[in-house]
Amino acid sequence: MTRSGEEQELKERLILIESMIAEGRRSHERWGWVYVLWGVANCTAILWTALGHFPYAWPIAMITASVLTAVLAVRKTASRPSTTLGRAVSSIWITLGVSMMLLFPALGISGRIDEYIQISVASAMLGMAYAASAILLRWKAQFACALIWWGSSVFACFGKSTPVAVVYLSAIFFCMIVFGVYGMISDWRARKLEAVNG
Amino acid sequence: MAELPELNPVIHGKLRLALLSLLAGVDEAEFTWLRAKTGSTDGNLGAQLLKLEEAGYVSVEKKFVQRKPQTLYRMTEAGRAALTQYVRALKELLGGAM
Repeated sequence: MTRSGEEQELKERLILIESMIAEGRRSHERWGWVYVLWGVANCTAILWTALGHFPYAWPIAMITASVLTAVLAVRKTASRPSTTLGRAVSSIWITLGVSMMLLFPALGISGRIDEYIQISVASAMLGMAYAASAILLRWKAQFACALIWWGSSVFACFGKSTPVAVVYLSAIFFCMIVFGVYGMISDWRARKLEAVNG
Repeated sequence: MAELPELNPVIHGKLRLALLSLLAGVDEAEFTWLRAKTGSTDGNLGAQLLKLEEAGYVSVEKKFVQRKPQTLYRMTEAGRAALTQYVRALKELLGGAM
């Protein structure tokens, strides 16, 4: 083999290493549906409580969303290898979910909460989770969502009832439903590109 | 004149290199996932993984999940060190060309 031929082969080896390592780490992107699911669950609970005055709207919506997330997540990750990055990101969302599931029912039962505190704390917690995930994944769109959540948290401390609710619902719509759909479209495009490139 | 480094022959095979690189990015991987990512046949993949296992670069765990057999592969510390050394040697060899 000529010298340039050998060099070319060695370069191909390096490219192969880089592409395979990247391939292994690419297992955290397919989670857009979770954001959509939780966005829909939150909107359903809010509207059900506001319009139907049904006291069990939140527990029913949250438990349904949790069960659906767990079942679908197990099915989707069954054949995929786990990565350190994937575990780091999922740990953020699992601990956020457990914290919220414990805190808000407890505050609701004890009566030591009002709508402003609920929205402010929920938004701050979501902002923290979105920002931490965005920093790990280097995902600018997700960090923009974190800023929206933090804005909603601060606004809930000063605003009046209706504007606070409108800002919170808008945050849910953009940061969960729109962001989730965007994530699903990005993933679909990436898979399509992958299929074209073989 | 400085001596050029030798490339580890166990890793140098294209499929074995691809397998070690894939395992470098994950905690552990199933045989079926490795087969899908490399586009290799069962026989060839099994043979190459066995060579990596014999060299101490990967470890294997066989278990049953919902009554289905599952073979999991993990990169060992020796495998990680060997891959790092291989990349270093490659870059050194390519030194002037890169």
